[in-house]
Amino acid sequence: MNRRRQSLILGAAAIVLTALLPVSGVNDYIVAVAVRMLIFIALGQAWNVVAGIGGLLSLGHGVFLGLGCYATGILFNDYGLPPWLGVWVGALLSLAIALVMGTMTLRMRGVFFALATIAVSLALDQLARHYVDLTGGDNGLALKFLGNSLWFMQSRRPMPFLYAALVFVVAYYWITRWILASRFGLEMRAVRDDETAAAAAGVPVFRTKLLGLLVSAVMTSVAGTLYMQSYQAIDPETAFGLSQAIQLQLPALIGGLGTSWGPIVGGAVMILLSEGTNLGSTKLGIAGVDILVYGLLLLAVVMYAPKGIMGLFNTRARARSES
Amino acid sequence: MSGFDTAMVPVLQAVLSGVLVGGVYGLLSIGLSLAFGVMRIVNFAHGDLVMYGMYVGVVASAALGIDPLLALPASFLIMAVLGLAQYQFVFRRFVGATTLNQLLAAIGLGLALQMVAQLVFGVDARSATSMFAGSYDLVGPFFFARAQIVAFVVALIATVAVELLLRRTQWGKSVRAVADNIEAAEIVGLRSQRINLGAFALSCGLAGIAGTIMVTYYPTDPTKGFALMPIAIIATTIGGLGSITGAFLGGIFCGVVQQSTAMLWNSALQDVPLYVLLLVFIAFRPTGLFGGRSE
Repeated sequence: MNRRRQSLILGAAAIVLTALLPVSGVNDYIVAVAVRMLIFIALGQAWNVVAGIGGLLSLGHGVFLGLGCYATGILFNDYGLPPWLGVWVGALLSLAIALVMGTMTLRMRGVFFALATIAVSLALDQLARHYVDLTGGDNGLALKFLGNSLWFMQSRRPMPFLYAALVFVVAYYWITRWILASRFGLEMRAVRDDETAAAAAGVPVFRTKLLGLLVSAVMTSVAGTLYMQSYQAIDPETAFGLSQAIQLQLPALIGGLGTSWGPIVGGAVMILLSEGTNLGSTKLGIAGVDILVYGLLLLAVVMYAPKGIMGLFNTRARARSES
Repeated sequence: MSGFDTAMVPVLQAVLSGVLVGGVYGLLSIGLSLAFGVMRIVNFAHGDLVMYGMYVGVVASAALGIDPLLALPASFLIMAVLGLAQYQFVFRRFVGATTLNQLLAAIGLGLALQMVAQLVFGVDARSATSMFAGSYDLVGPFFFARAQIVAFVVALIATVAVELLLRRTQWGKSVRAVADNIEAAEIVGLRSQRINLGAFALSCGLAGIAGTIMVTYYPTDPTKGFALMPIAIIATTIGGLGSITGAFLGGIFCGVVQQSTAMLWNSALQDVPLYVLLLVFIAFRPTGLFGGRSE
């Protein structure tokens, strides 16, 4: 059986199993965990485009998540605009910020881009905390709940969001596949692997990097709207804080940077681990252990398995075919 | 108050306080700049060693009854040893290029250090009392906290000492040689790993000094390390990545911008202009004000 068919069958099975989850009689808590998992997979898929395929370390992708959340939430609460429209405002804002940030920093070495992404997320953090009338300040912004409604994307139970998030993950998977197979994806990987050689081969280096950032920013922001609808609240720490930034990076890192399956596998592992540690630490009465787990995971992955879980698979498959 | 307009007093007060605060930002930054200049390592865990340095001051004053100022040498040594361990176990393999994996490893390490501090010291803010706590000096219409003046002097001495060490000693020469061209340095017989190890330990020791001096006027908690990193990064970039004097002056620059913003605009948004400045510097002057490494 070739790998393409293998991954098709695996994918179909995963989709069917997820879709059947609500009718299998499990409680809403399990469904909510599955929603969280799918949302973080989608966010990880978005980050994977800029960092995995493009090699640009964005440490502040919370910026685009936050803009998606805040734009949808503020427009709905203050102006009654449904998220179906708010999502595009958030995406446009993210596009604008990514354009400014990218234009200012992507001509330089990668470390400057990484530093700039931190600066932008910290700036938005301070602004969001300060302009209380608009954002709700430190306490954050809670969506007004109007009852179950498709038009306002609201539901008391998590089930509808499971299907919405599943659609996101499948769509983002195909976008990733399409990018990897396209000329654009090839150019991004060329720039990632050797900028000088790519430039010498005629790849427009700066434009390629910028385009990768824009695509990833819009993907993150659109998924941010789903995040907002499903959690119904956002605050500066959740949007722009460090642990959120790391949660956006871990799925692709654990699963395998730059691969189409990496963020999916990695996101599932990350959420299971985080749920597990949360359960364990509440029992033991220690707070914040998930931060330690994230830190050690980050360290372990980059030092011992920089190609993630998919990398382990691939080396084993290669070893088998060679022997 | 003859001589100048009284309306200028708050502005000048902001600038002068900014210089004092900024000197310590400079001290936070020179270690960071040293590690980058020599090994191309951006150590996001640097702030966490500063935070540990702050706890050294807390432990010295609260548990041992020693003034934090007298604990400075101990703090330097402890953080230098921690730095040796960090280098051996984590950063050794990342020397020579700032890669995605290096940045992530440093962040992971920082999170782990933060969590350990939380388990050992708890989440509550702690402070240390030094002999200068609570005393203020009036100079004309201006007032200064004495602890901050002392901290500024320590920062200045440390910066000058590191510059002299790098420029005037044989060891400093070999560090600069390894930084400039690691292969050529090895050909002439320098042992680059050992030299890098020393430079990294020095960088971490400086973080310890910065923390212990800071805790004499600024309370600490386990998240302080990451909270201090942005300003250290901005100061280092504005001063020129890799430059020691540049990082110190960059710190003063940041302090002045921050305090002036707080005084003249809004203290809740005191760091926003710094973040904008970082972007502007990256776009238009990536070598910083004092010409660091830009390649």
